[in-house]
Amino acid sequence: MKPGLWRQHLRAGLAAFEVTLRINAPDSFVLFTIVVQPLIIAIMAMWMLVERGAANALYVVVGSGMTGLWSTLLFLGGNSINWERWTGTLELMVGQPTPVAVIVFGKNAAVVFQSLLSMVASYTVAAILFRQPLSVEQPLLFAVSLLLTMVAFVSFGLVIAPLFLLSPAVQHFQNAIEFPIYMLGGFLFPIALLPGWTTPFSYLLAPFWAARALHGASTGGASLEELAFDWGMMLLLGAIYLLISGRLIERMLRKARSEATLRLE
Amino acid sequence: MRKLVLNLRLFIDGALLSYIALFRWLQPHTYLASKVVMPLAQILFFTLMGIFASGPGNAAFYAIGNAIHLASINGIYGVTMSIGGDRWSGALPYIFGTPANRLVLFSGRAFFHVLDGMLGVIMGLAWGVLLFGLDLSQADLGALALTILITTFSTSGLGLLLGCVSLVSIETMFVNNTFYFLLLAFSGANIPLTEMPGWMQSVGWALPLTRGIAASRQLIAGSTLAEVAPLLAGEFLLGGLYILLGYSLFRWFEFQAKRRGTLEAF
Repeated sequence: MKPGLWRQHLRAGLAAFEVTLRINAPDSFVLFTIVVQPLIIAIMAMWMLVERGAANALYVVVGSGMTGLWSTLLFLGGNSINWERWTGTLELMVGQPTPVAVIVFGKNAAVVFQSLLSMVASYTVAAILFRQPLSVEQPLLFAVSLLLTMVAFVSFGLVIAPLFLLSPAVQHFQNAIEFPIYMLGGFLFPIALLPGWTTPFSYLLAPFWAARALHGASTGGASLEELAFDWGMMLLLGAIYLLISGRLIERMLRKARSEATLRLE
Repeated sequence: MRKLVLNLRLFIDGALLSYIALFRWLQPHTYLASKVVMPLAQILFFTLMGIFASGPGNAAFYAIGNAIHLASINGIYGVTMSIGGDRWSGALPYIFGTPANRLVLFSGRAFFHVLDGMLGVIMGLAWGVLLFGLDLSQADLGALALTILITTFSTSGLGLLLGCVSLVSIETMFVNNTFYFLLLAFSGANIPLTEMPGWMQSVGWALPLTRGIAASRQLIAGSTLAEVAPLLAGEFLLGGLYILLGYSLFRWFEFQAKRRGTLEAF
């Protein structure tokens, strides 16, 4: 790809990022998903886990924050293409020269970036309401884990956004797949509590490796080798998600351009 | 007598049509996702978190609490959408233009959600039995059914009140979602009320579900109907109070909307 084209794509992706941030900022649903819901989950988890000594406060902060990250990605990132359909701009988006994936990547990056507020909300609850001492054991490794988590989540969003558009039947179960990922991802309790047959599904989910890395780096319970493995899995799964997403977007574009049925699905 | 028959017909027809309209729009697979799969996932998540916190011996506490909490899916979301749906679909001017009895019309919107909500709670308890070995052998099943009925009734009372808010606000889903999760935290579904600070306990007792969950746990542990009667009476009265508040708001909004000509202002 020519450097000029890269610059164009980067500019378009950043514009999608900025516009999404501006649109989401006053949206009450975004506020609920990013702040209110993780905050209430954090309050419950603090009582259920920390007060009984099952986990430390930092584990709850990270886990509750991740519930916000996932819910935001599921509802906002998942609908990032559908939203264009609802507002009548989908055809314009697929008809312009910038690849759709670039626009969706920019939109999902904004959503994931905003959802980091979930961790801030959980941190505030733990620090102020419950007066828990909070210090990240390995700040640098935590920052790397957080960065890779964002990349992995954005890539995952690139799969679910076209999937929800292409398959309304899957989208009908959008609400129903919120809690299962909390569980399969091991956000607030270990996946060992789940039946053994679910473990391979956890391994296929980048959120699981993200939760492992963030929990491990924040509590200091993971070695550098373990964290490196988690990061590698996030990158590998992220790459696989991008490949799958490419196929799905290709199919979406075919529907739009050849069959002209995109809007009718 | 004729007036009574007319009001009864209005109640049943209004309740039925409102419920059919809601789920025709929602589609059967949406019903399956929101009334079967999502509740199962919610019960699993909170019960497993409870097991992680305090061991498998306490699974029943969380399974019962979250199963009864499912009453709020219908009570809050269903009822609110039935009331708010009249505004969104443009039926509100016709409703306010009819001479129909407002209380009958208003309370009818919740009727089928109470029945459907009961079904949801029963399914939730069945998941508890199947997945966490919830033992119902000591329970007086008739008393438990009455508890579920009263709890879904009181939760629907809160839904009627929130439904009125949806007549004047566009932030319906924010309000509904927030109340749904606040009930999870404050009703004792996942945190024993005795472990909460005083102010949280006060909020919990002012909300529907709290007494219903406490009564259900006691009944499943082997208590008799007479022993939980005070809790059930409180839950019933609270539901009635919420309906009365909702109805008063409904009438006030109707009066204001007609006076100012803002019937469908968003």
